[in-house]
Amino acid sequence: MADPTQVTITINGVEHDVPAGEWLITAAENVGDYIPRFCFHEKLVPVGKCRACLVEVEGPRGKSLVPSCTMPVSDGMVVETESAVATKAQKGVLEFLLINHPLDCPVCDKGGECPLQDQAYAFGPGESRFIEEKRTYLKPLPVSDLVLLDRERCVLCDRCVRVADDIAGDPLLVFSERGNSVQIRTFPDEPFASYFSGNTVQLCPVGALTSVDYRFKARPWDLSHTTSVSLVDTVHSTVDVQTSRGRIVRVYGIENDAVNEGWLSDKDRFAFSAIHADTRVSVPMIRKDDRFEEATWNEALQLIASRLGGYMGSEVAAIGGAHNTNEEAFVLGKFMRTVIGSAHIDSQIGDGINPHLAAAVIPRAVIDDLDSASTIFVWGPDLKESLPVLYLRVRKAVRQGATLVVVNPAPTGLDSIATHVVSYRAGTGSDALRKLSSGDGDMAAVRQALGVGPVVALVGRTSVAEDPDLTECLAAFARSLPDAKILPILERSNIFGALDMGLAPTLLPGRISIDSRHGSDALEAAWGPLPDHHGRDTMSILQNTIDGDTAALLLVGTDPVADCPDPAVALAALEAADFVVAVDAFITESSVHADVILPAAVWGEVDGTVTNLEGRVQRIRPSVQATGQTRTLYSVLDDLAHHMGVELGASNLSMISKEIADIAPTYEGVTVDFLTFEGDPNGVVVPLDNATQPLGYIPVDIPVPVVTGEFTLHFAGSLYDDGVWVRNTEVLKNLPRKAYVRMHPSDASRRAITAGETVVVAGSHQLPVALDDTVAKGTVVVPFNVRETKGLVAAADVTVDTLAVGE
Amino acid sequence: MSSPIKKWSHSNQERAQRLLESYPDRRSAMMPLLYIASLEHDHVSQDAMREVAALIGLTAAQVESVASFYTMFKREEVGDYLVSVCTSISCFLRGADDVLDAVEQACDARHGSTSPDGRFTVEHVECIGACGGAPAVQVNYELIEGLTGAKAQQLIEWLKDTRPQVVLADEMQQLFGGQRSFDWGGPEPDGAVAPVPAFAPYGSTAEGR
Amino acid sequence: MSDLILTSRMTEHPTDSHTIGRFIETGGYEALRKALGEMSPDEIKAEVKLSNMRGRGGAGFPTGVKWGFLAPAEPRYLVVNGDESEPGTFNDRQLMERDPHQLIEGMVISSYALGVDRAFVYIRGEYARSARRVQRAIDEAYEAGYLGENILGSGFSLDITVHLGGGAYICGEETALLNSLEGRRGEPRLKPPFPAVEGLYAKPTIVNNVESISNIPWIVSNGGSSYAAIGPERSAGTKMLSISGHIKRPGNHEIIMGMTWRDLIFDLGGGIPEGRALKAWIPGGASSPWFVPEEHLDTIVSIDDVAASGSMLGAGAVVVMDETTNVVAAAHRIVRFFAHESCGQCTPCREGTRWLEDVLKRILDGDGRPQDVDLLLDISDNISPGLLWPPAMTTICPLGPSAVSPVTSITRWFMPEVEAMIAAKELAHG
Repeated sequence: MADPTQVTITINGVEHDVPAGEWLITAAENVGDYIPRFCFHEKLVPVGKCRACLVEVEGPRGKSLVPSCTMPVSDGMVVETESAVATKAQKGVLEFLLINHPLDCPVCDKGGECPLQDQAYAFGPGESRFIEEKRTYLKPLPVSDLVLLDRERCVLCDRCVRVADDIAGDPLLVFSERGNSVQIRTFPDEPFASYFSGNTVQLCPVGALTSVDYRFKARPWDLSHTTSVSLVDTVHSTVDVQTSRGRIVRVYGIENDAVNEGWLSDKDRFAFSAIHADTRVSVPMIRKDDRFEEATWNEALQLIASRLGGYMGSEVAAIGGAHNTNEEAFVLGKFMRTVIGSAHIDSQIGDGINPHLAAAVIPRAVIDDLDSASTIFVWGPDLKESLPVLYLRVRKAVRQGATLVVVNPAPTGLDSIATHVVSYRAGTGSDALRKLSSGDGDMAAVRQALGVGPVVALVGRTSVAEDPDLTECLAAFARSLPDAKILPILERSNIFGALDMGLAPTLLPGRISIDSRHGSDALEAAWGPLPDHHGRDTMSILQNTIDGDTAALLLVGTDPVADCPDPAVALAALEAADFVVAVDAFITESSVHADVILPAAVWGEVDGTVTNLEGRVQRIRPSVQATGQTRTLYSVLDDLAHHMGVELGASNLSMISKEIADIAPTYEGVTVDFLTFEGDPNGVVVPLDNATQPLGYIPVDIPVPVVTGEFTLHFAGSLYDDGVWVRNTEVLKNLPRKAYVRMHPSDASRRAITAGETVVVAGSHQLPVALDDTVAKGTVVVPFNVRETKGLVAAADVTVDTLAVGE
Repeated sequence: MSSPIKKWSHSNQERAQRLLESYPDRRSAMMPLLYIASLEHDHVSQDAMREVAALIGLTAAQVESVASFYTMFKREEVGDYLVSVCTSISCFLRGADDVLDAVEQACDARHGSTSPDGRFTVEHVECIGACGGAPAVQVNYELIEGLTGAKAQQLIEWLKDTRPQVVLADEMQQLFGGQRSFDWGGPEPDGAVAPVPAFAPYGSTAEGR
Repeated sequence: MSDLILTSRMTEHPTDSHTIGRFIETGGYEALRKALGEMSPDEIKAEVKLSNMRGRGGAGFPTGVKWGFLAPAEPRYLVVNGDESEPGTFNDRQLMERDPHQLIEGMVISSYALGVDRAFVYIRGEYARSARRVQRAIDEAYEAGYLGENILGSGFSLDITVHLGGGAYICGEETALLNSLEGRRGEPRLKPPFPAVEGLYAKPTIVNNVESISNIPWIVSNGGSSYAAIGPERSAGTKMLSISGHIKRPGNHEIIMGMTWRDLIFDLGGGIPEGRALKAWIPGGASSPWFVPEEHLDTIVSIDDVAASGSMLGAGAVVVMDETTNVVAAAHRIVRFFAHESCGQCTPCREGTRWLEDVLKRILDGDGRPQDVDLLLDISDNISPGLLWPPAMTTICPLGPSAVSPVTSITRWFMPEVEAMIAAKELAHG
């Protein structure tokens, strides 16, 4: 019997079996008959506008010209892609596209990688028959802070408009005028301020859309390419890192359908330039009195070795590692547990969730599961702000018909496309969950929607002020839904890799619980005795430092003064500590308090593997030489151990990689070489088929207190915050929005607060008020980690006061 | 959020609300709302487009995208009288270019521009469905058929002299028109108060501006 | 002016044919009474199919067959296309201004037959008077119980909304019209899906022209076979022709098809003014290839005969040109129209129509080159491969190929004149 998923078509006289329903243009390309195109793009709904892909198809009334991009293949279809008629039509369209196109290829960023240029070269006539005046426009026009538009070059293919409208949901870039005057435009004073604007530059088939930071920087033939992974968040979008003369000049998305489908957020795309910033720490520095002095690596490591050697293991603690590779994280854990003898290691800084839930929840979803979900349940951070590419995937699923339920104390980016939006007062999440799970009253419809599987639940803390235990309860509830899978939401870089490598007080490498006798026995067999005490988490480490139980702190690419829920505690701890070492790429509010700063090589400079929120392990590759004297963390720690008289066995990547694959059960077999040469180029989700995952964590419903002061705080992040990557990227650093306290109008009027008025939050921070009736009553929404809110304690209970007279 | 159209006349606010509710999809009210907004702002200004966007729940860019597609949503200020001279084939064959010349001279405005005194905007337009009465002209979309250059000049002078608040096709046709496409039938009481088609659901002579 | 089906009331009652009083007095809404009282929707559809009426908007597709494609999904919509904008046409305007109730009666009957309870009349924005007349008639019809809830106690309900266009010829294309009615740019959609399956708001939708729907009451009153018996077999019924240009009696004429063009131009139209000679005429609106006296005076005025001669009757707009006409200037005017009205979404139309306009303008301005004739024809061929009619298209809709018609017409019939113009100007420029 014939395979119903295949049809037989004839292209240029040759029969081919191709997938049923595929667009003819794709089917033809896959069998080697490339048809020209400008408007067609695999990830966009075809529009058939440019007409470059016209082919002849035989029908009941003879052959006719049809656009192959909107024609699905059907059995018995007979197609001519290169007949005289088809070729003339294709060339005719090419000529039409060229008549008004400027001949500025030598100064055009797209020159050398331009489909129009390539096709003109391949198929176009030698000289133009067009002697009329070409269209001219003022050029270039900034359509946003990041993207410029040259309308003369535009071929009006509709790709950017479809990206803005269909994909990103930001219909700010539109067609304007009609006929020969049609052009792409934004509305005055309403720029294309989308988090996804850079995708339009990448998809533009000509040089009409260019990015501000790449303009005139390089020519395509001078670029070197490295396939890597973005570490801006935990999605780990696959990227093509492009370098010229030793510097990264551009990052493009790569179509990895399991992860990002080619899309990137603008932070993924543009934040690379921080690695070349003048503000990088590039040499070791040792504090002398109140200032840092440059030192040699040998001096710095000698000092650290001698100081650390003076403490008991349990007096030393390490915080961080979430920005490092898996290999670096693994070596950090090994260094702490074996060389120092301390179990006080945490890669989360009080802003996370139960590490067991994050690393080992079952059943765990992969991103791809969203495509086939009937219902998507999002109760966690605003995905548009925290994990923008995952936000796009949810949008896609909704476009394809999935039901979306969003629960959050504040409005989120997904609300406009959600089937149900449930708002609750910050601090009362456990009440809201109880109502939701019982389906009482106005929750009946929502509860019913959640009863249709398969369900994919995206759960996390809606803000740092929210009790992390609530996420545990959400996961437990989500697990009870039909065919449910859970994707735990954490945002920071390689945090999932760090947890998998054991950078948590309760985890050992390979998703082993520290309480699992069997697991720790196996590790002790390899590493020797492990610390006999339980580890502390970051907030506990900081408190113990203030209390004097912890004397020395190792800060690894982390800035607790900026990022932990109680900045004052972090600051006091750093001041109280006897000895602080920071391994970092920048001087931060935390590393500025260190006794020694070691310059760290970062993304773009380091080699290794990373793990995303699905548990997908992918290879990251260096694109440029490490800046200055910066080094990878593993080589620093290997050297430091040597200075302390211990051989860590971590001097090169393959050695570490092999050890991870050997002793971290979940990562069995997953070496750098495996990912490079044998595994799926899209990376692999661990554990592989034959490997084991010792910890299969089942979330539990635990009592979470309800906070009921006059006001409760929703302290949520935004994509452009005051983090080091945004702060040190020229084109992004001015994008953080002005900070407001957003509150419900009824709360404001009760307290006689007016829009725009300055109020005092938590007795310490003065901020202007914005009224927003989509914020839950009793809740104040304040942006996390921006300049204006630095130092604010992330606790649900908060006060809001009007300014005293005269203040 | 306060209403984006609180400055509109009460009747136009009501019309807008009715229009939004009268279609199966709010977006269908786009073009009617653009007409009303242009009555409120004298043309489809940026504010007008922002207001329509807010009413429907779209971005202003989406509204501009639609408004700019059509010739009757004037995004630049227009004079009190929009004089549209048809120069398509049937009118062309019967002397439309002479009519256009006469209108431009009498109004002191080239086509596509507004007279220095702000009273007239002149445009040449494509076929307005008056081919049997060619050449034809519309003043604020009210039609006069069977014009000549001389009659067109008189029409403009008459508009200058009488400054009618309401432009009535029947009256202008009787004074200046000639051959009609067909017998127009009985009298038509309504006319235009602005360069916006006079149509009660979107704004009519009865209520003024 | 004949008084067969559509125009008898307005001819007999020149001052008040648009009022409900006169309409009822002259037999109006009797067809509706019959339809709702005595006929099932299927019976009405059968009569319309039997009538052989071909759509009056231009494409000439049989209305009854089109109705048969309406998908069963609900809701369904009827949209009447009153966006009459083809240069040369003004017959729908007359039907809307002079007999709006006839249109409304047709809409109610059609909606009943199609199972529609929501209908729209899309009227071009420049037809403010038409819109007012139709709206007033709708108000009267509601008042009198011919619209709204439970019409004539039949249980059938219908609401009609008048929607004004914004100035865009392309909205006469039915899918562009639907986009426009949805508050979008009037860009034609890709077909399939056709509106009968996915139309307004992606629901099954019938889009019919004003004249087509205005015929429905007569068909229901007199039976489809009576209609089919009028005129040639495949051009049944009457057709409103709009005659304009260099003609003694311009205007709309309701005719029975089957006469010759000679009869139409010289008898019905009264011939060419001032004793001038006929040079050419456009038989079916600006889109259609031209006819010339040497070839076509004895061709029959019917949908199929005109098509067989390589043109189309279209919406029935006859534009007559006498011997004084500069055919390059006339062609330029028409091409300019299409360039101005191109929606701009597809490349060949957006770029090609403007290019044709520019080249023609250049020739008119005295800068023509000998190679421009071949250039014009090759640009045309890249818009409409083969230069045939009905056209093959590289475009999404027929607007681009329509701009080719005047170019092929002047190069086919008036090449010496075109070449002479180019040569004379070359000479003049020295």
